[in-house]
Amino acid sequence: MAASLQRIGIVACRTFPVILQRHLQAQRIRDVKITSIVAPVLRVNYCASSSSADNTDSAETLSRYADTPWEYLKSEEYIERYGSKPVWSNYRRNHKGGIPPQKTRKTCIRGDKICGNPCPICRDPNIIIHYKNVNLLQQFFCPDTGVVHDPTVTGVCMKQQKLLSKAIETAKDFGLLRAQFAHVDFTKEDYSNTHGAVAPTPPPFPLSSGELWYSWYGSVKPDERELARVKRIYKDYLKPEV
Amino acid sequence: MAALSVTRCLVRSYFCVKSAHKNVQTCLQTTTRVFSVSASRSSSESVLKAQFTDKEVQDILTKITGLNLDKVFRPLIQQLTPPKYKLLTDTELEEAVHKAEEQAKHLLEMPPILPERKPIDDVLAEDQMLEGMDTAKYVFTDINFNIPHRERFIVVREPSGTLRKASWNERDRIIQIYFPKEGRKVTAPPVFKEENLRVVFEQERHEDVLNHCVVQFEPDSAEFNKVFILTYEDIEKHGKYDLLRSTRFFGGLAWHMVNERRIDGLLVDMLQRDLMQDAVKLVRLFNLVHPQSESAQHAQGQQAADLDLLKIYAQYESSRAGFIELAVQTYEQTKALGSI
Repeated sequence: MAASLQRIGIVACRTFPVILQRHLQAQRIRDVKITSIVAPVLRVNYCASSSSADNTDSAETLSRYADTPWEYLKSEEYIERYGSKPVWSNYRRNHKGGIPPQKTRKTCIRGDKICGNPCPICRDPNIIIHYKNVNLLQQFFCPDTGVVHDPTVTGVCMKQQKLLSKAIETAKDFGLLRAQFAHVDFTKEDYSNTHGAVAPTPPPFPLSSGELWYSWYGSVKPDERELARVKRIYKDYLKPEV
Repeated sequence: MAALSVTRCLVRSYFCVKSAHKNVQTCLQTTTRVFSVSASRSSSESVLKAQFTDKEVQDILTKITGLNLDKVFRPLIQQLTPPKYKLLTDTELEEAVHKAEEQAKHLLEMPPILPERKPIDDVLAEDQMLEGMDTAKYVFTDINFNIPHRERFIVVREPSGTLRKASWNERDRIIQIYFPKEGRKVTAPPVFKEENLRVVFEQERHEDVLNHCVVQFEPDSAEFNKVFILTYEDIEKHGKYDLLRSTRFFGGLAWHMVNERRIDGLLVDMLQRDLMQDAVKLVRLFNLVHPQSESAQHAQGQQAADLDLLKIYAQYESSRAGFIELAVQTYEQTKALGSI
């Protein structure tokens, strides 16, 4: 059973680039405005499902999951292809030498061209990274530590890895994935809200006669010599002393 | 006099006591608020009613919350370290358990229940001279490190020239930008919208949502209160009280239900799980918070204790009286059989 699944997988991997090339030659590329999906717009295999009759059958199935990418993970073709294992389990990177490069390739799809041996997400056009596609996102991080798997382990290209991290963060924001928060201590803060910064400013108190605005106004005496000097300079402008 | 000073220390509402230093009458009022409902010296009803911060209320709520060490110290989603094994004697083991209980009590401290903060609308200056100076507002913040955030001056200069104090929402956002807190976002995440909350409630992750809410919002903000009330309503609708038991939010849930006079669901849940003492304490809390209700007055008249409180409550206030009385009878019978 496992062997046959593997064989199907290998055949699918091998034939996929061929099928893709055929599509590129056979069809026109149509731009699809997908407002709700975070997936890259340059996916060449997409056609609007309501387009004209020159769609082939495989194009129909590709576009079927554009709006609801989470449906694909329940479909028969997904289960047949991947079973219960994560989508990256049977992927192997091609690289020179024993030690793989510390970063995977920048992207698998440039314009119309797809590279040889594309990463687990790019090789299957039905797998779309979307924040609501929780079952897919859960395959890419550890449930006990919350740490996202390194791309050198899963084999995804850097572009998809960025989209993946973004989608995981959005899913946590929407409450679809569990997030851990630090314990908040409330004992040390004062919630009385009486300080002038947050409470209405009290009106200024009116001065009674003889009272000074600041209490130290009256007690500061000017230096005698300075006072005499200033009086001498502005002699012409001073009021006559009584 | 010595007794009065001792009780003054015990009362948590310390600021009331400080300001009432000279006023002995107010001192007496604050002390009577804590103690029994019967010995009231003031005439106003609001003074008799128990507050969340009262010692007796807090005692009852902590006892009802329970202390399930397995639930409090369940594994968090964090970097894992290899486990540590220690060889301990019996006394050392007891000490370790005692320390764990202290730590658990610290983790189970309830978030404060505060009245909603009054909006800040205070104009400091109006300079028509500056009108049309720019198309954007300027926000001036005091970023000295050692001031509490609630004493920080944050003012906004509008394009029309008015200089006003920043509103609470603006204050929260600016303080998060300059002094970021871990886990808090500048703008509220979409999980706190009602449709997303419903999805989370279906997955029974009420505690996660409340933890997130506590991290994101200030305790006296409107959104904080709204999320808590929505969570409590959902729990009560489906009877999922056990999700919050042994967490820091159970006290708040019980307090909310008692204030709304809807403790039947919670009582029935406690009785189904054979938590008789907790049920009795809940009814006692109800009588403290609503001293004018029939159940409280009858209980006070008969000086009831323990299961009699439950019976009186079931008779006068409850809508599921049959179940409560049946449960009390079964408990008494099993106790009698056990003692034989």
